Amino acid sequence: MIKKLTLTAITALALSTYCVTAQDTTTEDQATDQATETETTETPAVEEPAAEEPAATEEAVTEEPATEEAPAEEPATEDAATEEEAPAQDATEEATTEDATEETTQEAETEVPAEEPAAEEVQAEAPAAEEPAMEETLADEEAAVETEDHAAEGEDHAATGGHGSAHIEDVAFSFEGPFGKYDVEQLQRGLKVYTEVCRACHGLKFVPIRSLYESGGLNYTEDEVRAYAAENFEVFDAELDDFRPALPSDNFPAVTGEGMGPDLSLMAKARAGFHGPYGLGINQFLKGIGGPEYIHAILTSYNGEETEVAGNFLYGNDAFEGGYISMPQPMSDGQVDFDDEHANDLDSMSMDVSAFLMWTAEPKMMARKQAGFVGFIMLVILASLLYLTNKKLWAPHKYGKEMDL
Amino acid sequence: MAGIPHDHYEPKSGFEKWLHSRLPIVSLAYDTLMIPTPKNLNWWWIWGIVLAFCLVLQIVTGVILVMHYTPHVDMAFASVEHIMRDVNGGFFIRYLHSNGASLFFVAVYIHMFRGLFYGSYKAPREVTWIIGMLIYLAMMATGFLGYVLPWGQMSFWGATVITGLFGAIPFIGPDIQTWLLGGPAVDNATLNRFFSLHYLLPFVIAALVAVHIWAFHTTGNNNPTGVEVRRGSKEEAKKDTLPFWPYFVIKDLFALAIVLIIFWAVVGFMPNYLGHPDNYIEANPLATPAHIVPEWYFLPFYAILRAFTADVWVVAAVSWITGGIIDAKFFGVLAMFGAIAVMALTPWLDTSSVRSGKYRPAFKWWFRLLVIDFVVLMWVGAQSTDEPYATISLIAATYWFAYFLVILPLLGVFEKPLTPPATIEEDFKHHYPDAPTAAE
Repeated sequence: MIKKLTLTAITALALSTYCVTAQDTTTEDQATDQATETETTETPAVEEPAAEEPAATEEAVTEEPATEEAPAEEPATEDAATEEEAPAQDATEEATTEDATEETTQEAETEVPAEEPAAEEVQAEAPAAEEPAMEETLADEEAAVETEDHAAEGEDHAATGGHGSAHIEDVAFSFEGPFGKYDVEQLQRGLKVYTEVCRACHGLKFVPIRSLYESGGLNYTEDEVRAYAAENFEVFDAELDDFRPALPSDNFPAVTGEGMGPDLSLMAKARAGFHGPYGLGINQFLKGIGGPEYIHAILTSYNGEETEVAGNFLYGNDAFEGGYISMPQPMSDGQVDFDDEHANDLDSMSMDVSAFLMWTAEPKMMARKQAGFVGFIMLVILASLLYLTNKKLWAPHKYGKEMDL
Repeated sequence: MAGIPHDHYEPKSGFEKWLHSRLPIVSLAYDTLMIPTPKNLNWWWIWGIVLAFCLVLQIVTGVILVMHYTPHVDMAFASVEHIMRDVNGGFFIRYLHSNGASLFFVAVYIHMFRGLFYGSYKAPREVTWIIGMLIYLAMMATGFLGYVLPWGQMSFWGATVITGLFGAIPFIGPDIQTWLLGGPAVDNATLNRFFSLHYLLPFVIAALVAVHIWAFHTTGNNNPTGVEVRRGSKEEAKKDTLPFWPYFVIKDLFALAIVLIIFWAVVGFMPNYLGHPDNYIEANPLATPAHIVPEWYFLPFYAILRAFTADVWVVAAVSWITGGIIDAKFFGVLAMFGAIAVMALTPWLDTSSVRSGKYRPAFKWWFRLLVIDFVVLMWVGAQSTDEPYATISLIAATYWFAYFLVILPLLGVFEKPLTPPATIEEDFKHHYPDAPTAAE
């Protein structure tokens, strides 16, 4: 039910600053404020493969509410109306009369994709079983008809990501677990993906370029890194009062400005892929917090939908809370070629860049695990010795005799 | 200084006598370390050492972190990343410090519940208990202030929410909040004063810890039976006790080593498990995180804060009686601080003639329920305020108060306690039949 709640509550005021979600349409004027404040759209992305025509969006608007919601069982038609109204307050009447005003259409449109995966899920879980679906939709209705406060709280849910609709696939990264290590070649490929794709809109301002040759990372030589820095980045030097090619001692440049995305230095630690169940933290314990998995899921979960909210284009993404993200699909199959002719399909490249971003977020992970391991062993030895000492010490007082060890 | 008779330090060499007549510091250390300790202490008594270790760990790692940290809104977040990336071993020091706070709270909660079960708060140890509560309050303040320093999203918005609690005080609240923040909102002035206080409070805690130890060295330790050490003579006391050094020091160090194995594994292998991902996003006053959650160790009291909403009849009644001065928000704040206050009052709320919960058949169950209640509150504090969480937190919060204000006083009247053993020696012999009669 929580899961569905998040759907009906339409959305997530997402954690990241670069997203505008369907919520913006529901709160009208605030929405526009918020949109201008919090989002930095990535619409003018440089490398947008296969950009769809805006016309496609309009089509979607008219068609989808009918077709897509159909699998959500009979009450769906009614629900569609109620769900749309609830958060929209003022729009109540229009919606019920199915008088598709601009507002309602827009809402319907934004809501649809959120609905989509759920409907699929229902079908998958219980083919031809109407009851569970009914229950869920009823629950929806209940929740949706409740006050706006509740709707807002539903958003809270969605935004925590844990209970939401978005599905994050677990990826078996090489660096997971106490003994996991970064895959040097994967990190190098990830750097290449970052350099050729991501950096157009995303900085890595906390990452010193020199860390590319420091231990526990990409294992490049100092000369290679020097060449890489000079070739790819220009930085402003206050002393020269001019731009110059970057040196290893510089950080990766920050990328700021209209339409640019958030800095990626810490992204893999700033997002969580896994939660729960029931807020118990068991999934995080078993699978890890899931930052890199989240990045991988975002990159591979574009569904080709597009919409326009307050003048900004949003792109359908099943891994993103609310279903729409302001970043257009940044990568497609075969976009980056690797020197060793490693697989360069979207999935593989996404994994590579996610692993690379884990490294940028936690460059000392190898050293940390080693220190953890060494400390662990030494503490086990210490504890064993103290155990024996303690036993011997107390023996005369507990058992009235000395103890030989 | 201890009330239990034992051998005291005797200066022997000329220098020792010279020093002793001027500053009896060796004597103080000797008497503190050699204090007669009930020999039947079980493993629940080891957390004091863990806490002492935590305090030292936090101060040492904290002092190092300060060498590289910059308390300024434009630089704080970057300086933490500087520690994580550029400072030798900085990443480990920082993770020790942030997870050290968690260990500190794990230890203090077990330590407190141990005291609640074995009646450690009862006469003559009320002062020890009260000082302990003050330490706990200072710890919470320190933990909160420290969480603000990395200047992530949770830091910023946590600070906004928590200082907002003071804003809920009628009439003077907003002024107090402004005074605390050093301005109308959380900003550089706030960060600077939080940094200053975060550095100051651990030393206040250290001083309180000294008083805490002084207090229970005067009364002697409580023990699982709740029976006092016999103090008629040195010989009699020796039957019930063993000196703290080496018997309990080694035992506690062993336990500490076990605890540290787990702690070290957490720091080494999952240092961000207990943190919040949002705190790796730099603070942004313009973007409110959708879900502001305090650190896990505040969650039980955060749940109590949120449990009393305006539609709860008690809240409505109080609001009506006070003419709206105590509204739901202020009621929540009072409830949160009240939840800690009732714990501090336990010595006077518990009316039972028997000290240890071991010999109180009904109390045992109510106490277990309290522990479960605490865990439930901790869990529900991280959930949303929807149903069923709202009802769960209200029930759990109600039980918390009911335990201290109703159940504890009534149990002492209605419960028929078992008879505890006459002496600690008897209890010890019960566990270790082969133990020699005269210890030593």
